[in-house]
Amino acid sequence: MSAVDFLNLFIAAVLLAGVYAAMSVGMTIIYGVMKIVNLAHAGFLMLGAYFVFEAYDRFKIDPLLGVLLAFPVFFFIGMGVHWLLVRRIATSDQPTLTSLLLLFGVWLVLQNLGYLIWGNSDRAILTPRTLSSLEIGPISFPTVRLAVFVVAVASLVGLEFVLHKTWFGRSVRALMQNKEAGQIVGVNVNRTAQIAFGVGIAFAGAAGGLLAMLYSFNPDFGASFQLRAFVIIVLGGLESFGGVAVGSLILALAETFVILILPASYQPAIAFSLLVVALIVLPEGIAGLWAKRRRWA
Amino acid sequence: MGVTDAGNVGGSPVSRFVSVVVPLLLLASLTVVPRVGPGPNIIRLLFVTLTLVTASVGWNLIGGFAGQISFGFAVFYGLGAYTTALSLNGGIPPVIAFSLGAVVAAVASLLIGLPTFRLKGPYFAIATIGVSEAVRVVMMNLPFTGGASGYRIIDKTRFVQSHHYYTALALAALAVGISILVRRSKLGLALIAIREDQDAAADLGVNPFVAKLVVHAFAAALAGAAGGVYARYSLFIDPDGVFAFRNGVAILLMPIIGGVGTIWGPVIGAFVYGLIHEEVVANFPQAHLLIFGSLLILIILFEPGGVVGLFQKFMRSIRARSSVGAHS
Amino acid sequence: MSNSSVHPLLQRLVGLLHVLAIAIAVLVLVSPVWAQGADEIKIGVIMPITGREAKPGQYQREGIELAIKQINDGGGILIKSRGKKLPIKEVFYDDGSDQSRSAGMAERAMSSDGVVAVLGGYSTALGEAESVMPDRYQTPWITPGAGATTTFSRGYEFVFGTLSPIDLLGYTTAQYLGTLVDKGKLSKGLKIALALENTDHGVEYGRGIDNWNKEHPGYFNVVFSEKFELGATDFSGLLQKVKNAHADIFLADAHLQDYITMHRQYMQSGMYHQMVSYGARGPEADARKALGAATDYIFAGIWWSSKLAYPQVKKFNEDYQAFTGHAPDSWYPATAYDAMRVLAQAIEHAGSLDKTAIRDQLRKTELKNSILPGQVVRFGKNGQIQGSFVIVQNKPDDKVDIVFPLDAATGESVAPKPKAH
Repeated sequence: MSAVDFLNLFIAAVLLAGVYAAMSVGMTIIYGVMKIVNLAHAGFLMLGAYFVFEAYDRFKIDPLLGVLLAFPVFFFIGMGVHWLLVRRIATSDQPTLTSLLLLFGVWLVLQNLGYLIWGNSDRAILTPRTLSSLEIGPISFPTVRLAVFVVAVASLVGLEFVLHKTWFGRSVRALMQNKEAGQIVGVNVNRTAQIAFGVGIAFAGAAGGLLAMLYSFNPDFGASFQLRAFVIIVLGGLESFGGVAVGSLILALAETFVILILPASYQPAIAFSLLVVALIVLPEGIAGLWAKRRRWA
Repeated sequence: MGVTDAGNVGGSPVSRFVSVVVPLLLLASLTVVPRVGPGPNIIRLLFVTLTLVTASVGWNLIGGFAGQISFGFAVFYGLGAYTTALSLNGGIPPVIAFSLGAVVAAVASLLIGLPTFRLKGPYFAIATIGVSEAVRVVMMNLPFTGGASGYRIIDKTRFVQSHHYYTALALAALAVGISILVRRSKLGLALIAIREDQDAAADLGVNPFVAKLVVHAFAAALAGAAGGVYARYSLFIDPDGVFAFRNGVAILLMPIIGGVGTIWGPVIGAFVYGLIHEEVVANFPQAHLLIFGSLLILIILFEPGGVVGLFQKFMRSIRARSSVGAHS
Repeated sequence: MSNSSVHPLLQRLVGLLHVLAIAIAVLVLVSPVWAQGADEIKIGVIMPITGREAKPGQYQREGIELAIKQINDGGGILIKSRGKKLPIKEVFYDDGSDQSRSAGMAERAMSSDGVVAVLGGYSTALGEAESVMPDRYQTPWITPGAGATTTFSRGYEFVFGTLSPIDLLGYTTAQYLGTLVDKGKLSKGLKIALALENTDHGVEYGRGIDNWNKEHPGYFNVVFSEKFELGATDFSGLLQKVKNAHADIFLADAHLQDYITMHRQYMQSGMYHQMVSYGARGPEADARKALGAATDYIFAGIWWSSKLAYPQVKKFNEDYQAFTGHAPDSWYPATAYDAMRVLAQAIEHAGSLDKTAIRDQLRKTELKNSILPGQVVRFGKNGQIQGSFVIVQNKPDDKVDIVFPLDAATGESVAPKPKAH
């Protein structure tokens, strides 16, 4: 393979990693603060996709703008779901089975909602941007992938800002490190949890919109991405944002390059295998490995 | 007194009588059903439900008794189905073919359990999803079993529906029997201890790892046998059918609906799921997701003990009301 | 487990839900068997109208129902043994694009609903699953949507299909490209990249192309051939490999959903080939809506086109439009429409509702004014028809032309494709 081809592939992988990161960070927030594995993540990805689609289809709102709109809309949806359902179950320092199953039930309901409202024909978002590409020398970037990457990274930067510069952000980080200690210094656990859940769902919805610009979707959409999100946060360590970035890059690179030697029909297996290997070899993810190294030093 | 467990309702002779007679009545009535002539469709429904009972009871051994929630039991169901199918085509008699399916599933459970049991709660659950799906993709591409085109069993014998029905019934009864035996054994106690607090159990001398591996093997064997029995009936299996993620979900949903961790919960859950599923799906396609999803949410929020839990609460309220004297 | 203070009403609601669930279950158990209505002909129809194959399944259902309506408008089918015409009653089940459900519904229709025949199985996968049931219940089964020959090569006695074999589709595709070479539109010795869906359908399509190539050496060279998983969301890996193969012609065999996804990514990667085809997919309205001008000049080998110049096709187009409110989409309704019609003819010739007699008639009968290419439906020895295909090519502004065979052509082939934009 020529150097140009390799570079093209590498860049494609990096662009993909950006979207993957935006897609997974929602789960990380929720898990970090509440120790809940959000199995309904896929459902919100799907709703986000349809939200952006409808905004474009009905109101001619540019999909990128639709994605930005998705943030506040899904934030409130997330807070609502938390208020209605999530706050009623007991949480602890360890992830609970009840939370797992509750959110799984929510996912099933969301899928059905999707079918009821939109039927099951595939949708796609087609803008002039969708089929064009940007050529810089021998490298070509599909324009839409570039746009999606920029928005994804921008939102992640925004999240980092919130986490480090706002009271809410610091509360979240405090709770992620130690719930009791956080409470002692005055963090309102319930309030923070609710907002964190909202933020997590906001990212899920917006990421769904971003993904909708790249792939076609139907109400089943989301399941394969949720699996990828699992891989990423497991690789990255369930509670580390830097880990999410690393995990996304690893997965994207693996998917882009491994497929060249494997038959195409094995493509889905890459993510799953990576997941299983990661869980077994690196139970605490790469971030855990990093933390351990720091401890040894 | 938080342990929801209908298999050990000690206490009054009435409840002990009930807990023996009712299941026997159920078994008797199920045995008689084909003779009463309700029509091949009902038999088919019951057949499928009985295979679901087996898988559900099997899952409950590891998921209910031991508290290890697995989302990936489709892999055992599928392995059992394919093994049985291959054996039947190789001329092996059905009962041995089913047993081979169970054995292969059990061996697979060891291979899967060894690396994954040291993972905690949700990590384990996620790992099981990964394994199940990875196996599905591999099977989709394996030319020797037909790959994505599926695999067909060539069966020259005349089709007698009641044969399949009684096989499923026998297997389901066996599954419940195993479930009761495990529950009453030392292994069962060890599993409950592990479920409540694995580290404490280890401190008390239980070997959690071995206990889980053993019960996982039983669970997988039952799920595999269920898959095999189903395969022989439908004569055509494919990876997207038997290894589907939604199968693993169904196998998990059933015990939870009925009452996870109990003996009869999985049975009730399988009946509820099996009988409703088809009728609902036939009339409201896709609405079944809504129904089961909402049911799951309601159960988790309000009655984690499922149908059995509800029933026990009901019994307790009756007993409380009928007893004389004050209590707090 | 949680023991939060719960509103007693809510708890009772949950209890009620459980009771309801069990009640439904009991009702199912005691529901009476459906008897064959004395004065109607029950025919089972099993099509996916939800799930991955929902769109084509819906179109096939419409084709069948149009035929039923037309037959019933004429009073029904004349049954000699009853001495009168009996109307058709459709017993419809949605199999949700799920194979085990498809088999289960077929079994249900054949065993308890007392149908005399079943039309079902859109797509090879669903057809394969259903095909176990006809012989088990000695009930004729016609599939208007499953074309892989494997379904028909197992010695089944009650299995029929109005879809011509897929390897013939592949063969006709290669044959068409060969004629373009002969006419000088394409050069000789071009390289072909094949992307086949990972099913019998894909395997047979590839085989058909190989067969033609073997019979006509020198025309084309297959330099790349690989299988992909149906329903994947991302084909970038596959397409990268296709790109690396530096082929001149890209032939894929895919279902509708994958066609749309794959072609979008094809365009996004800036790929180009002189000729592009997605097997039996091309002119579908959903695809043209989803991808716009990117679908122009894609060609497809299909079992029927509304552009065929037969008078019965024109009438069918009008009837279908009036019945459903939209024009026929690609070939889907046509094979279903004729499946119902040939079944009705066989029932009439059988003179009774005896299923084996109907099967015997299906083996012999010929539907003479078929709307399919060749204008006749006749089942081969193995139950599958051996009809012919048309090649259609998408033209700009949502137009479609038949480009092959030449005597049915409505327009010229555009080859090679103009470069995009």
